[in-house]
Amino acid sequence: MSSSALVGVLPENLRPVPLTVGVVTPGSLDDQVLAFPAKRPPRAWFIAIGITSTFLLTGVALLCYTIYKGIGVWGNTSPVFWAFDIINFVFWVGIGHAGTLISAILFMFRMRWRNAIARFAEAMTIFAVICAGIFPLLHTGRPWLDFWLFPYPNQRALWPNFRSPLLWDVFAISTYFSVSLMFWYLGLVPDIASMRDRTKSKWKKAIYTVLSAGWLGAASHWRHYEKAYLLLAGLATGLVLSVHSVVSFDFATSVVPGWHMTIFPPYFVAGAIFAGFAMVVIVLVIVRETMQLKNLITDFHLEVMNKVILAMSCIMGYSYFMEGATAWYSQNEYLLHAFKNIISGTYGWAGWLTISCNILIPQLFWFKKCRTSYFWMILVSIAVTIGMWFERFVIIVISLHQDYLPSSWRIYRPTLVDFGILFGSFGLFFTLVLLFARVLPVIATTEVKGILPGAQPKHGGHHE
Amino acid sequence: MSERPSIVIGLFDSADALMTAIDGVKPKQLGKLEAYTPYAIHGIDEALGLRRSPVGAMVMVMGLLGALTAFGFQYWMSAVDYPIVTGGKAPWSWEAFVPIMFEVTVLFATFTAGLGMLFLLNKLPFFGHPILASKAIAGITRDRFALAVEAGTKDAKHFNAQAAEAALIAAGASNVELLTVPQQAPVFDSAFLLRALGGISAACLVSGFIMYWTIKLFPVLPPMSHMLDQPKLGPQRSSRFFKDGHGMQMPVLGTVARGNMPLGAATQDEAAALLNPLPRTEQVLSVGKQKFTERCAVCHGSLANGIGSLTAAYGAKPANLQSQQFRDYSDGKIYWVIVNGKNAMPSHAADLSVDQRWSVVHYVRALQRAQNAKDEDVNIP
Repeated sequence: MSSSALVGVLPENLRPVPLTVGVVTPGSLDDQVLAFPAKRPPRAWFIAIGITSTFLLTGVALLCYTIYKGIGVWGNTSPVFWAFDIINFVFWVGIGHAGTLISAILFMFRMRWRNAIARFAEAMTIFAVICAGIFPLLHTGRPWLDFWLFPYPNQRALWPNFRSPLLWDVFAISTYFSVSLMFWYLGLVPDIASMRDRTKSKWKKAIYTVLSAGWLGAASHWRHYEKAYLLLAGLATGLVLSVHSVVSFDFATSVVPGWHMTIFPPYFVAGAIFAGFAMVVIVLVIVRETMQLKNLITDFHLEVMNKVILAMSCIMGYSYFMEGATAWYSQNEYLLHAFKNIISGTYGWAGWLTISCNILIPQLFWFKKCRTSYFWMILVSIAVTIGMWFERFVIIVISLHQDYLPSSWRIYRPTLVDFGILFGSFGLFFTLVLLFARVLPVIATTEVKGILPGAQPKHGGHHE
Repeated sequence: MSERPSIVIGLFDSADALMTAIDGVKPKQLGKLEAYTPYAIHGIDEALGLRRSPVGAMVMVMGLLGALTAFGFQYWMSAVDYPIVTGGKAPWSWEAFVPIMFEVTVLFATFTAGLGMLFLLNKLPFFGHPILASKAIAGITRDRFALAVEAGTKDAKHFNAQAAEAALIAAGASNVELLTVPQQAPVFDSAFLLRALGGISAACLVSGFIMYWTIKLFPVLPPMSHMLDQPKLGPQRSSRFFKDGHGMQMPVLGTVARGNMPLGAATQDEAAALLNPLPRTEQVLSVGKQKFTERCAVCHGSLANGIGSLTAAYGAKPANLQSQQFRDYSDGKIYWVIVNGKNAMPSHAADLSVDQRWSVVHYVRALQRAQNAKDEDVNIP
């Protein structure tokens, strides 16, 4: 049954919400979205990229310093051998998950509103995975030998240990990056073809021609394309659930009190989607305001995403509660001690920061006013971003700094280099986001064209 | 390739108009019908009579292949080539292989779906298609819907461009264009080969120069040798760690190095009471013989009779251990002499370990008995 047929039947508040505001035609969509790369960026863009690339360059300098001096310049010390590097890794991989969720899982569920924000979310996935990948590679200590992670025939006649979750991670993250890149590129091909046929510049035309692989929009091509896109969405759906589960295995399969829990895989996946949606909301608010895309990324989009954040916040609350309940019910003194450390130890402030930012503040989204107001949604999203970073701090540092052997307990203190590389990764992320916003279409125009009113033929054929 | 038009293309304003036109033009069987649209249109496959896409089957096969590949390499590496027990699990226990099998399955399937679709099924990238050079393409990738009648490969000669043009106009198409497939120059002409050879030579020269100067200017540096540079205390260096400022410290008073327990006897007479702790085994005697030959025989002679190779050369008079005086010595007294020396004989304590000294004592006893054998020492049946 088509959406227009429902209008007369359903009460007003249950009718499908229009996905665009005002009159949007395929042509106007192209003029609005594809025109950006041709225009000269405004001054605000230059200021923004100046700031982000300053952060990026600081991060790169400290990265080089780390490689030159060794990871002794970080605060990592016995027994906290995993610290900022692994926290940042888990944090960034988590940010990436929202993009795949929006582009793949919501595609499988036929949530049409995702078409307008899918491109940006996918791009954020790729940039977040790039940021994430830096940290474990550095964490190895000798990054120029990182190829040892892969199973390749070597003179030492050694193979990696396939029973180690750390090796599963290598495969999971590299597969995740490849699949996200493929998914993103396939979505871009028809859009780049549109840009190719718009541009007047000879050089740009040549670049776009090569990038679009000579896409013609032939019906015989579209049938393969649609099928492949659907399959990719299905594959990415399984992948997005597996990647953060595998990341959580790094912790859950160890015997450290506070890590050794069966709840970790779903807890990590929910946390990843939670943090990622918050980041998507922050970026989308800026994008729709500065690029005048309010008619395509509507208030409805933001409200729906805020609802997802609220739902994920409740799952996170349940997970935190279960952690405490498991510790209490097991009556295992090590587990109880690890849990008490979260709420009352030296790092108790981090535990309470996590709980307030992830569980308490997002409850504001029960109110429609907060879901639709920029002030509140930005406030909550920033709180969630901070809270989710500290959640990984709580999991990693608090669990490690006091384990079974009291003689080796030690307080962990990060160094300036640690903070510099963290902020550098934010610089890298936002620099890439800014470059992407100027160079490629930020909205999947082809996909939005397909869901505009009257885009699909009424007669014959099949409808959903 | 002829100059005759082989594609006739017309534009429509909506997907509905396109679908109606397909239904109108298709029964006339003027050639192969193809639509060009800005986005995928539902139901157009059936209208054009296109077969189902085989992407699904390809992905299925390659995905399974990926799973088998991952299982195969993990099994071979973990259970066959480098079997190692981790966490008490058998090397061939397959459960741990599942996560990587899943990832590799997804990887194979994704590349098949993405690249297989683009390269194999759609035969892209291809930049020579006449539609790309047409006026219609700007509309197709924007908001117009094109229907094209194309000459198939088989019936190219019978293609009637005028009839196709008329049919499209009758169906309501605007901006009808007649496109020809451009003449393609032969690829391997002499000019092309010359250019290719020149390009390859230039690339070789440039990369050769770069390699030469790179190796010349950046000699092989030991990368990141910080393990050599780490803070450490060299010999004879000062150190603020100790109060007296010396890096090297005397051992604590009364420290004994391993295997160097002091004798506990000041004079030879005190040592007489010491007992040989070693049993008289063949192994002990062979050690004793070796050490005696190395360190003692040169003066005392290989029979311990005081006639060694140095005796004549230097006029020295080493003790004849076969004499009654020394045969009456207790083991402890001989041991004391090995440790402290006597007359011209130096101490051998630095060269022989405690066990080696006692072995030598046993061997000297064996030599004495061999040279002064009694009747009962000979086994006469």
